[in-house]
Amino acid sequence: MLRAIAGFELKYQVRSPLFAILFVILFGLTFALITGDPVDELGASSVKWNSPYVVMICLLLMSLFGTLTTAAFVVHSIHRDFELNTDSLFFSRPVAKWQYMGGRFLGSFLAGMLIFAGVCLATVLGSFAPWIPKEHLGPIELFPYLYSIAILVLPNLLFAGALFFAIAALTRSLMATYASIVGTVVLYGVANSLAEGMDTQAWAAMLDPFGVRAAMLATRYWTVFEKNTQVIPLEGLFLWNRVVWVGVAIACLAFAYVKFSFSIIGKGRGKGRGKGRAARKPIDAAPAHAAVPLPRIRPSFSSAAQFAAIVKLEALGTLKSIPFMIMLVGGIALVVGNTFDGDWLGASYPVTREMVDVIRSAFAVFALLIAAFYAGDIVWRERTLRLHEVSDAMPVPTWLQWTAKFTSLLLVVLSTVVLAILTTIAVQAIDGYDHFEFALYAKSILVLLGTRLALIAGLAFLMQIFFNHKLAGLIGTSVYFMLNLLLPAMGLERLFYRFASTPPYAYSDMNGYGHFVAPLFWTTLYWILFVALLFAVGHLFWVRGTETGLRQRLRSARGRLAKPAATAIVALAAGFTATGGYIYYNTDVLNTYQSTGELETRAAETEKKYKKYQYTPQPKIVAVKANVDIHPERRAVFIDGSYLVINKTGVPVRDVLVNWTWRKLTSFEMSIPNAKIAFDDPGLGYRLYTLAEPLRPGASLTIGFRTAYESKGFVDGRSNTNVVANGTFLNNRDYFPHLGYNSRDELEEERAKHGLPPLERQKPPNDPRGRAENTFARGSDWLSLDTTVSTSADQIAVAPGDLQRAWTANGRRYFHYKTNTPIKGVWSYLSARYAVRRDRWRDVAIEIYYHPEHAYNVDRMVFAIKKSLDYFTANFSPYQHRQVRILEFPGYATFAQSFPNTIPYSETLGFVADLHGSLDYVFYATAHEVAHQWWGHQISPANVQGATMLNESMAQYSALMVLDKEFDRPTMRRYLRWELDRYLAGRGKEILREMPLMLVERQDYVHYNKGALAMYALREAIGEERVNRALARFLKDYAFSGPPYRAAVDLVHYLRAEARPEEQELITDLFERITLYDNQTREATVTRRADGKYVVKLTVASAKLRSDGLGEPKPVPNNDLIRIAVLGEGGKELFVEKRRMTKPVETLEIVVGGKPVCAGIDPYHELIDAHPDDNAKSL
Amino acid sequence: MPVMAIPLELRIDSLSKTYPNGVQALRDVSLTIPTGMFGLLGPNGAGKSTLMRTIATLQEADSGSIVLDSLGGLGGMDVLRQKDDVRRVLGYLPQEFGVYPRVTAEGLLEHFAVLRGIADRRLRKDTVAALLQRVNLYDVRKQKLGTFSGGMRQRFGIAQALLGNPQLIIVDEPTAGLDPGERVRFHNLLAEIGENVIVILSTHIVEDVSDLCSRMAIISHGRVLAEGEPSQRIANVEGKIWRRVIDKGELPLLQNGHAVISTRLTAGKTVVHVFSEERPAGFEAVHPSLEDVYFSTLHIAEAA
Repeated sequence: MLRAIAGFELKYQVRSPLFAILFVILFGLTFALITGDPVDELGASSVKWNSPYVVMICLLLMSLFGTLTTAAFVVHSIHRDFELNTDSLFFSRPVAKWQYMGGRFLGSFLAGMLIFAGVCLATVLGSFAPWIPKEHLGPIELFPYLYSIAILVLPNLLFAGALFFAIAALTRSLMATYASIVGTVVLYGVANSLAEGMDTQAWAAMLDPFGVRAAMLATRYWTVFEKNTQVIPLEGLFLWNRVVWVGVAIACLAFAYVKFSFSIIGKGRGKGRGKGRAARKPIDAAPAHAAVPLPRIRPSFSSAAQFAAIVKLEALGTLKSIPFMIMLVGGIALVVGNTFDGDWLGASYPVTREMVDVIRSAFAVFALLIAAFYAGDIVWRERTLRLHEVSDAMPVPTWLQWTAKFTSLLLVVLSTVVLAILTTIAVQAIDGYDHFEFALYAKSILVLLGTRLALIAGLAFLMQIFFNHKLAGLIGTSVYFMLNLLLPAMGLERLFYRFASTPPYAYSDMNGYGHFVAPLFWTTLYWILFVALLFAVGHLFWVRGTETGLRQRLRSARGRLAKPAATAIVALAAGFTATGGYIYYNTDVLNTYQSTGELETRAAETEKKYKKYQYTPQPKIVAVKANVDIHPERRAVFIDGSYLVINKTGVPVRDVLVNWTWRKLTSFEMSIPNAKIAFDDPGLGYRLYTLAEPLRPGASLTIGFRTAYESKGFVDGRSNTNVVANGTFLNNRDYFPHLGYNSRDELEEERAKHGLPPLERQKPPNDPRGRAENTFARGSDWLSLDTTVSTSADQIAVAPGDLQRAWTANGRRYFHYKTNTPIKGVWSYLSARYAVRRDRWRDVAIEIYYHPEHAYNVDRMVFAIKKSLDYFTANFSPYQHRQVRILEFPGYATFAQSFPNTIPYSETLGFVADLHGSLDYVFYATAHEVAHQWWGHQISPANVQGATMLNESMAQYSALMVLDKEFDRPTMRRYLRWELDRYLAGRGKEILREMPLMLVERQDYVHYNKGALAMYALREAIGEERVNRALARFLKDYAFSGPPYRAAVDLVHYLRAEARPEEQELITDLFERITLYDNQTREATVTRRADGKYVVKLTVASAKLRSDGLGEPKPVPNNDLIRIAVLGEGGKELFVEKRRMTKPVETLEIVVGGKPVCAGIDPYHELIDAHPDDNAKSL
Repeated sequence: MPVMAIPLELRIDSLSKTYPNGVQALRDVSLTIPTGMFGLLGPNGAGKSTLMRTIATLQEADSGSIVLDSLGGLGGMDVLRQKDDVRRVLGYLPQEFGVYPRVTAEGLLEHFAVLRGIADRRLRKDTVAALLQRVNLYDVRKQKLGTFSGGMRQRFGIAQALLGNPQLIIVDEPTAGLDPGERVRFHNLLAEIGENVIVILSTHIVEDVSDLCSRMAIISHGRVLAEGEPSQRIANVEGKIWRRVIDKGELPLLQNGHAVISTRLTAGKTVVHVFSEERPAGFEAVHPSLEDVYFSTLHIAEAA
């Protein structure tokens, strides 16, 4: 019997159209995911696309979809009988409850699994797709698939199926079940975003019924090697998660079985039962009120009144419906959750710009879902309720029917957005922030986001009209969403055919919407006209009455094509075309458009044509004079300057190769005396001059040039954000010409596709060519800069150097700067309406240029600068400039950078950081940037391996030392723990191979994070004094020197000179190899002795591992001194000792005087540990 | 245009309609319907609802015309092409309809009143109250429609069909599902209204037509089989209907030689009516009822 019921159920479900649709959709999604570089989403190119890790992630993600599809089948299987009124037929049969329920569940669950078989098939087939480059695929193994299905997919589908089956069976209400499905999805999303903080990871992992978090946690620090070869071991948190939730699933089924009963409850009046049932008066043949006459009506058909009535009914009906409220609550919760989303370093002040960002990112998806779903609901409402015959016979004009419905949809969407705004305002108010900037809310959310939502709501509505089928319309809208994501990936990026798209834009507190207003306006108008045109056509096809066949609709369409409709269509079509034409004029005539593919091709071509000149002897720039005229209001900059160049090579130079950034400059002119242009390639930005007389070694030459950028119209794509109305920030790299070949723009990916050899890696440390150039500006060594920058009268312009003079002329302001010491060949110009905070440190001027409303952390920055200068001048060398300047620039990019005596800081970094109760990120970042004035601007690293250790790792160390003086040990430990986390996580995302610190090749996680850890560990081992002495000597010997330039290997020599013989091995481990430890506290117990002391019994293990570039670890002998500690309340050290762990596992008994709270081996994470969380245990 | 000169008549001329799946729902239907109650009688699937929906502007016809005009006048409203104008004078109660479950009776009726053109608030409230009283739903006007029984829903339906003093009222199978008491009240209500307006009542329950209608038509398989006043049609078959009480087992034999138009069980015995020009043996004469007219018409058409 069970088999019969299950078999029937399975056959029934498989034959339904929904099954076929879902199968195709899930298959397609999986296939696209697997073949569309899934690893990119996962962030690493060395991990094979069909590695066990990737297989697991794909199947896990798809299982989330699978839970929904399984839920659909399972719910339908049990609810069908109630819905179709066949329950009385089944329940009166001699079928046992367990057979009935078991059969239904089994059959529908199997149907769900069959759909998932399609997913697996897609995963496997996907790896055979011909367009995947061979190097991305590894061997195909069956085990990871089976394992993932058994451990991840099956339990997930089982849990979802059991839960919703139980709910559907017991509530017998589709509405309640549906609400619970939506509620679960929403809660899951909300819980996910709230659980971002590191402390709660373990709990979050257990509470995630789908095992996603547990899986992510288990693999967080997996290296590339591990990802390519391992499946997640069934142990620890991961195992418990699976066991618990499978148990919950079984419990749900058991509960449902017990509570379900084969009885029929009266339907249809479910809601009214028990309370206020409609009173049935005794019927009499002659009703008492029959005599009341009906008033005579003079009908007045007010369209306005009809419109208002329909809008009110539809809008209120939607706003009061339960699924809507659940979706709304979910969206609001997500918004609130995201406002707390600072990362580990802390949040920023709840400035309106950030709130707006949260709404646009987190809430917009909900609003879209609501629009798409309710478009169908609203259009189909009468037909779903079978009221359409009544309402269609009403004297309501056809056009009014759909305009009123669409208006109510818009109102619904708008009210959700307004609610989101109110929520964020509440969050701001609760946080004590009151600068609400209502105008910004209105512009950004109501107008910009609002129009976008309205357009998409319009599309969803139109889909319903044209398809005339609720499900088909929903699918059509989903297809739009998917296409929207996929089109750019297929290389189709123009805004003209991507619905509701505009060129990218950004808001900045400094610059407002600036120059984005024009393109936003025209492209939005373009799409509004398009949607209006579609509506005008849709009106012809709007279904009214009971005829729904295509032929009938065409007939009535013809009938509705009267003069007003036809005129509207023609007019809208004309307007749409005209607007499109105007946009095209701007984007393709006034400017040129390059697709991503086109840009790639040009970069490849540049390399093919000009790389051969990379080591051709060229003169180097020694002095720069430039007049830079910035015109912020019209977004233009004109540069008129000259280079004094000297031939520093040993041979005469006849050819001078010159390059400039063609993508950014609108004009370029150059003049070299007595030289002819051998070739000119403006498309790629290269030109070769042949000198009449070769330049002898040691001789000099003056090169004159003029460059300009002038904004015209607007572009389709990223616009120039260097020169804006308030907050101009441009650097010499893009706006000044350069000598020689520019290798910084070479393609990093897709090289084989363009016929290029693999990317040149950085040269080994002693390569003479590498040593001959510095990493940042190869066309110069050290130069002097003499520049006059002008801007509009209400702005301040800043460039490196001492300010010689500032004056006003012709309604513009001029500033003349001159550097007092040699600088590296990178410099920048900034101009804005700044407020300035001035201070002094000895004879150095401290100047903070900031947006007047962002004064929150300016004091902190000044403080940090002073402390940094204190430390660095005392321990390293004197500061070479006479000013330290921090300048704010608009948040179009988020970084801070150190130019000579000029430190630009993004508005989104540090200026609005909220430092209460979090790590003082501003202090840290400021100290780091100031440190670069030494490490980077006094020492200029050679262009070899290890270059970034010399500037970034040293800047990290310097900043940590300044921090160390201000903060206590526990805080420092938090900083270091964060660095460790980033280092370990970064290892798994490695693109090529991880290099040891001394030979680092620009890998962020190595030079920033490992660098900080390594230097701090060194300082703990040999002492701050000796480290600093090594650094000071290094600076003394090599500041401002080169070529040949210094490399990290040189610095390590200096460190070795200060270290004792027994410490040399440590230096090797830290800098020359990739060394990790696996320190672990296996057991820790404490007993109180009679004399009040405590005995701590500790079992610790320690292993030392050496790793290759992809993370494959090999054990090595462990002779190192490792700290063992017992800590009391507040981190007080009750016992501390450094031991050599000669045995891999040791048990110790330690007696301490105070109450111990935790104990462990290397509890401060001084050593890089592969599993940092098991070093200590609490007692 | 909205208010027309009375008395009115609805002229249906050679109306035909075939559905896309091949079913021919209406074949050359021609009817003239004056003011008053008009009964459209026919079995399920006869094409009644198709005809009702076409008059109610919800469906198109393949050929033919429907004109709503004053008696004897020329021109008037082309129902098939002037849908907006027709809807202004139309009241329609469909065979099946749902309601907004969470809206009150009063609320939905007021909403419909706005759509029907009663823009004035005061007037609207009065009309809604009066109509609800008429259909005896006034006491439950504040209750949600989702709690209403089938009969109450039907009463609500007739209330909305009467909004705005319609001059053409179409009621499609209105008494199916009503208990006897409700049926009586429904008839009384319709009878009052049907004096100066056209009311077309389609049904398969013969009593509805015999109780209420001054004119009727019988329709089957999309064709009009008979048209006229009930009393006249009854007179037509006077003397041609015969009755006999038999045992159940005799029925097949009887059907062989006679035109058996109906059989009924009374107290365990089978009573048959046959149609015959002359008296058949063993039968007694009986005064024909409308039911006999109905069954005999169908039978004759079937035999043809």
